[in-house]
Amino acid sequence: MRRGVKSPLRAATIAIGVGLALFIVLLLLLVVSHPTLEGMISSLKSPEIHFAIYLSLVTSVISTILCILIGVPSAYALARYDFPGKHIVNTILDMPLALPPLVAGVGLLLFFGTTPVGEALAMAGLVFVFTPLGIIIAQFFVNVPFMLRIMRSTFDGISPRYEYVAKTLGCNDTQALWRVTLPMAANGFLAGSVITWAKGIGEFGAALMLAGATRMSTETLPISLFLNMSCGKLDLAISAATILIIMSVVSLYIFERYGGFARF
Amino acid sequence: MLQIQNISKDMGEFFLDSVSLDISKGEYMVIIGPTGAGKTILLETVAGIYEPDGGSIHLDGNDITRAPPKERNITMVYQDYMLFPHLTVEENIGFGLKSKKVPSDEIHEAVQRYAEMLHIAHLLHRYPDTLSGGEQQRAAIARAMVMNPWALLLDEPLSALDSKTRENLRKELKDIHEITKTTIIHITHNFEEVFDLADRVAIMNEGKIVQVGAPDEIFRRPKNHFVAEFVGATNVFKGISTSENGIASIKIGDIIIRAHSEIEGDAYISVRPEEILISTAPLASPIRNAFPGKISDIRHCGAMIRLNIDIGVTFVVALTRQGFEEAELGIGDCVYIAFKATSVHLFPGKSTTE
Repeated sequence: MRRGVKSPLRAATIAIGVGLALFIVLLLLLVVSHPTLEGMISSLKSPEIHFAIYLSLVTSVISTILCILIGVPSAYALARYDFPGKHIVNTILDMPLALPPLVAGVGLLLFFGTTPVGEALAMAGLVFVFTPLGIIIAQFFVNVPFMLRIMRSTFDGISPRYEYVAKTLGCNDTQALWRVTLPMAANGFLAGSVITWAKGIGEFGAALMLAGATRMSTETLPISLFLNMSCGKLDLAISAATILIIMSVVSLYIFERYGGFARF
Repeated sequence: MLQIQNISKDMGEFFLDSVSLDISKGEYMVIIGPTGAGKTILLETVAGIYEPDGGSIHLDGNDITRAPPKERNITMVYQDYMLFPHLTVEENIGFGLKSKKVPSDEIHEAVQRYAEMLHIAHLLHRYPDTLSGGEQQRAAIARAMVMNPWALLLDEPLSALDSKTRENLRKELKDIHEITKTTIIHITHNFEEVFDLADRVAIMNEGKIVQVGAPDEIFRRPKNHFVAEFVGATNVFKGISTSENGIASIKIGDIIIRAHSEIEGDAYISVRPEEILISTAPLASPIRNAFPGKISDIRHCGAMIRLNIDIGVTFVVALTRQGFEEAELGIGDCVYIAFKATSVHLFPGKSTTE
């Protein structure tokens, strides 16, 4: 690093970066400082916001668990094994990242609303269209690629030789994974869970398509923000936004703290 | 007896091509070869990490070709330790016994015993990333040895260590082998490890075992051009060294060669063919190692000529083509060879009196 050398490039690029950071802070402060304190407190006490917080937490926790159950094994397979079509599978699994959530939502709506599988599930009592179950599935579908990517790079970063050694020391495949690789992947796992959860809390587009925006029924925090903004209840809308901001900041902190090598 | 018969395995970049090798119980086998020769896959196939495409592996008569690693009683140590970072040194060493559901007081006792043998008993509560490279490798060796394995596989165990630590740990490997009589298969690039540790040495190249034999045999009678090139120092002889004031006298057959060293006892010497002077008259300069001999063979190797000179043992001497033609030498001619004491490399050798 050279210091003290005047470089216009250095000055310009730093100015752009710092400017962008200031802009983000400004926006966040604007949202948080917009309502009066009393307005904010009374909104936070309203049953609607309580419901939204509750629904957001429950759906995001369940969808994160689903992401772990599906994403972690897939990531392990992609990191450790070779199989025919691996490259294509890898690419397809990343698809939802590039897909607009609204489009994903339409796909899910068609799947659960019009196909025999969806109808059979509905007959069995699992109704996904316009219900909180739909929110969970929407969050899962949009977020599982994040879990997958983080865990794949985490597993990639752990030499398979740790498992080889474990196997010569009396483990079978599964025990080696459970006793060695998974504990070694703990940081990546934590980072992946937090980012998946935080994205689940904020999921809007796909959930809107599949579960709709029904007050006090499928009203998560982002839906609440949208509904209350639409009908001019600014205090309620901004309370929801503030809660979302706090959750983002906390999850970003955890991610930065523990996710180091798993960033993507 | 571990019998590896015609093992083949294709892993793309690395492969084994019909490798056969018999290793006796208690033997210290060293495998050397260039990078990409397939040494590591050979060890990993013996450990059961990979199933071979063809061939078989028998351990004491039992076919273990397709047995899972945990049923083989063969443990492994890698160059970069592979200690489990989330476990303490104690938990690392006890890992295998825990897998076997050994009662925890017995695990504790065994861990203590091997930690003491490897001088890491004071480090048991620490985590691996707080240890030096040498300490980590000791822990990895203890972790493998505590299983009382039929064979211990070492994949360049000393290569990542600084030279002082490497030398100490090499001595300890020798001691461990002598105390426990565990069969050891050890991969290395380092010839000192071959001389110091090996009962036998196997040379690998391009997925094949090219030659197997006692260390001096490999160096003295390389089977083909590759082995000769790879082992480099062609003039390798085994003798008995006595040292006084930093000057070692090594008795090899009827001749005595002098070197700057304090190594005593069984030892190997090597002299590079390029460092030997040859002349038709006795050399006037006061050079320590000068011997009369006879030319027994002349070989043309590209720009160089290699002469075999019989002085009681056969030395190989290299000459440039020009130098060779000017000297007008032929087979059967009497010549004098000479080399400085500093040109003689002395390695401690393994005693063959066992």
